Amino acid sequence: MAELEERAYELRAKLLHLCGTYEGAVHIGGDLSAADIFTALFHYGLDVDPGDISNPRRDRFLLSKGHAAVCMYIAMSMRGFFSYEGIVETYGKLDSAYGMHPCKVQLPGVEASTGSLGHGLPLAVGMALSARHRGETHRVVCLLGDGETGEGSVWEAAMAARSNELGNLVAFVDRNRQLMTSFAEERVAFEPYPDKWRAFGWNVVEADGHDMASLVAAIDGLPAAQSDRPTVVICETVKGKGVDFMEHNLAWHAGSLGAADLERALAALESTRKKETV
Amino acid sequence: MPVTFTFGEMLSARSVIGTTLAELGETHDNLWVLTPDIGATLVEFRDKYPERFLDVGLAEQACVGIAAGLAYDGNIPVVSGMLPFLSMRALEQIRTDVCYPNLPVKIIGTHGGLVGNGGSTHYAVEDLALMCALTNMTVTSVGDPNMVGEVLRQSMSMPGPIYIRLAVGKKDKVLYAEGEHDVRIGKGIVARDGTDATIFTHGTTVAQALDAAEELAADGRSVRVVDMFTLKPIDEALIAQCADETGGKFVVLEDHLAYGGLASRIADVVADRGIRLNGFERLGIPQVYAGFGDDEELRDKHGYGLAATVAATRRVIAQPSWPTSH
Repeated sequence: MAELEERAYELRAKLLHLCGTYEGAVHIGGDLSAADIFTALFHYGLDVDPGDISNPRRDRFLLSKGHAAVCMYIAMSMRGFFSYEGIVETYGKLDSAYGMHPCKVQLPGVEASTGSLGHGLPLAVGMALSARHRGETHRVVCLLGDGETGEGSVWEAAMAARSNELGNLVAFVDRNRQLMTSFAEERVAFEPYPDKWRAFGWNVVEADGHDMASLVAAIDGLPAAQSDRPTVVICETVKGKGVDFMEHNLAWHAGSLGAADLERALAALESTRKKETV
Repeated sequence: MPVTFTFGEMLSARSVIGTTLAELGETHDNLWVLTPDIGATLVEFRDKYPERFLDVGLAEQACVGIAAGLAYDGNIPVVSGMLPFLSMRALEQIRTDVCYPNLPVKIIGTHGGLVGNGGSTHYAVEDLALMCALTNMTVTSVGDPNMVGEVLRQSMSMPGPIYIRLAVGKKDKVLYAEGEHDVRIGKGIVARDGTDATIFTHGTTVAQALDAAEELAADGRSVRVVDMFTLKPIDEALIAQCADETGGKFVVLEDHLAYGGLASRIADVVADRGIRLNGFERLGIPQVYAGFGDDEELRDKHGYGLAATVAATRRVIAQPSWPTSH
């Protein structure tokens, strides 16, 4: 557990470094809120092999909140899929495989091209159906932002998943309660949020998205892939988590850090790490 | 099971879809059929391969997204439904989930043009403009019901997506005798030869163009009719050839907005290749939301019925002829 927690801090530090060297916008707020989830998945929960990315039995991971692509790239690099240096050196540049939203055509290690919100879950339903049809027992895991569940296509897919009894489908929701320009509940009444998923017939698990033990328990408790109900793990998170001046701050949905702010952010992260790992 | 049809008869394109998909399902064990609650056509496939059939209910966006997910996993999905909704409500899914990764998803459906008497919510009149704008998308509009089967069969080996537009698809005129034409996606069909002018058309108006040519033949006019059933990629060579061989006189007739569909595709080729024309008329739906009425009445009302087609063709033939070599 301690090792996973350390990795999550390393992931955050790497994110901040990229955000400090790249001049364009990085969706740092939603990257930091999802960093623990990415760590739990890529370093514990997902059965994937960076040396065999096309293995038909691998778990599939779909990033529906595509703007967190850089967090996914770095989490995958820490698992051995790509080189972190390659990401930092080329991110957002001409002909790079790494940019704001994931593209499978440019980066075959990712499962799908995403970015427009509300698209990941229908794609995941298709992949889960295909797995069922082939008699394969891997899982299809989709990470959504809570804001994007305002898109109707998410609920169309939620209905299709339940109707087709896709117990091999797992959605993780990064419930950071912030949209781009507002705090979510100020604009959209998402609550009672878990009940909405329950009403669609899903198996609902609530987790603390910044407590590795809670995330690991959620993963360990997933029903068998052969079961008949899709599962959603609703992870309570904080946008900008780990960097005090970014937490709960609408200004840090996306941005870039200058050299001075990078030092400040890394110091804040270190302070959080000391406080939380005591 | 092969089915034979007689030229000139009416036939349901929908039944051809059903028969063809059931046949293709046998040889392609990765063929899936999906629909947002428009399933009557697909019963044959559904009953034969229930495990590869998915009716998602009224959810066009998820239907296309799920199809893309299946295609990512090595399957060949066919999404069948009503085109006004597939082409617009699920437009972004078609663009982003299907065309961007260039997946072999086939979008096939009915209600292309002012057909079915459903009113403007139920007419697909912008669909070809939208689909032609999408990178990687092959765009077809099929009139002869037998051709639907042929296009579907050919599309099985295509690596990317295809859009197949039908009219109502319940009762369609068989235009071509079996084997009369070499139907190939990307190549136009010279449905009737002629030298005084060419009418380019697609889908349900091919029959009307043939009737117009017949009427003009009674006046001694020789009018060519080209069934340009593939709008993208368009048969540029055939367009150039028709300019040369029919006096540079073009009429474009389509059951779609007059701007944005086949007429615009042909105008682009003419401009880009520097083809000299001696007359160009476009017949299609003006910028109106058409009301109720059967398809023939609506075409007459909106200026692209049989009489209008004959009149426009006469006008282009009457244009002075200059050499069209380019």
